[in-house]
Amino acid sequence: MSVINFARKEISFKIVYYGPAMSGKTTNLRFIYSSLPGKVKGNFTTIATETERTLFFDFLPLELGMIKGFKIRLSLYTVPGQYIYKLTRKSVLRDTDGLIFVADSQQSKVEENIKSFNDMVENLQEFGENIENIPLVLQYNKRDLNPILPVYEMERLLNKEGKYQHYEAIAINGTGVIASLKAITKLVVSKI
Amino acid sequence: MDEGKLSKTQIVLTAEEQKKLDESFGEYLVESESKEIILLNKSGELIAKTGDITSDAAVTVSALAAGVFSATNELARILGEKEFTVTFHQGKETNIHISLITPNTLLAVVFDNTAPIGAIRFWAKKIGNTIKGIIENAERRGSQKPSPELKKELKNEIDNLF
Repeated sequence: MSVINFARKEISFKIVYYGPAMSGKTTNLRFIYSSLPGKVKGNFTTIATETERTLFFDFLPLELGMIKGFKIRLSLYTVPGQYIYKLTRKSVLRDTDGLIFVADSQQSKVEENIKSFNDMVENLQEFGENIENIPLVLQYNKRDLNPILPVYEMERLLNKEGKYQHYEAIAINGTGVIASLKAITKLVVSKI
Repeated sequence: MDEGKLSKTQIVLTAEEQKKLDESFGEYLVESESKEIILLNKSGELIAKTGDITSDAAVTVSALAAGVFSATNELARILGEKEFTVTFHQGKETNIHISLITPNTLLAVVFDNTAPIGAIRFWAKKIGNTIKGIIENAERRGSQKPSPELKKELKNEIDNLF
């Protein structure tokens, strides 16, 4: 949960990127890290296997700037997407202020997206938390690949009732990355 | 609060509380001969720090310490334990002791390898007991909402931050 420090005039939030293996969660963080100026970002920390797959989490702290005298800090995390790391994913999810679900738009990934979304809901439930109460933004990534599902099909799979904002993305070149981050930041700020 | 549940506790620290924390940490840093004292919440946010560590490094240590603590507690549950309240890592030159102060707050104390484990445990407990009251107050205050004007301004200004 957020920390408001009146002495340091700081508000900090935790945002977690969730999604199936290889959907582009770490790529989102890498793009944010490479595109934001040095004074805004902290150290990019990644705990990966030798083959560069996320093992525990990636972590990127951002210090966005001042609003009404308060410094806004975001802590961005990714979870390991591979199925075997279920408990690790759960532990990263603890005390999250907001979620970005990074879905892989490729036709062949339909099941993995659904499985990962359900895994996220289950993990939250195990913490006694309801997905309805946590700000969530959907990112439909890899829109440059072929064959992919049209957006309305992605919506049918993950956002039947249209409750969540969605963004099309090509994280590798940054398309939709900052827009998704902005959207979730607005949602978590409005929850404090 | 039930352990294992997502914490709904927001921490709201006043300037006075921050000063008290900084003062206590400063005194204990000298007395205990520790290298760094870092206070964080379970979501990995840095609350306070003392020692030579830079703010950037302390932010990363907080994220990793909370991650380690949280992962260790999944291990605890598998073993049938409710929660491990202390995690300790020993290195050749440096040791880190991470302990639970309130259900949502963790204290990480870094020592060099000259400190015996008993002393590390003693000081971590003593520091924790000293600041517990301050943190509990800050958590109680967390249930109060910030002013609607601040919230509105925050929401309107987000676009300008990116």
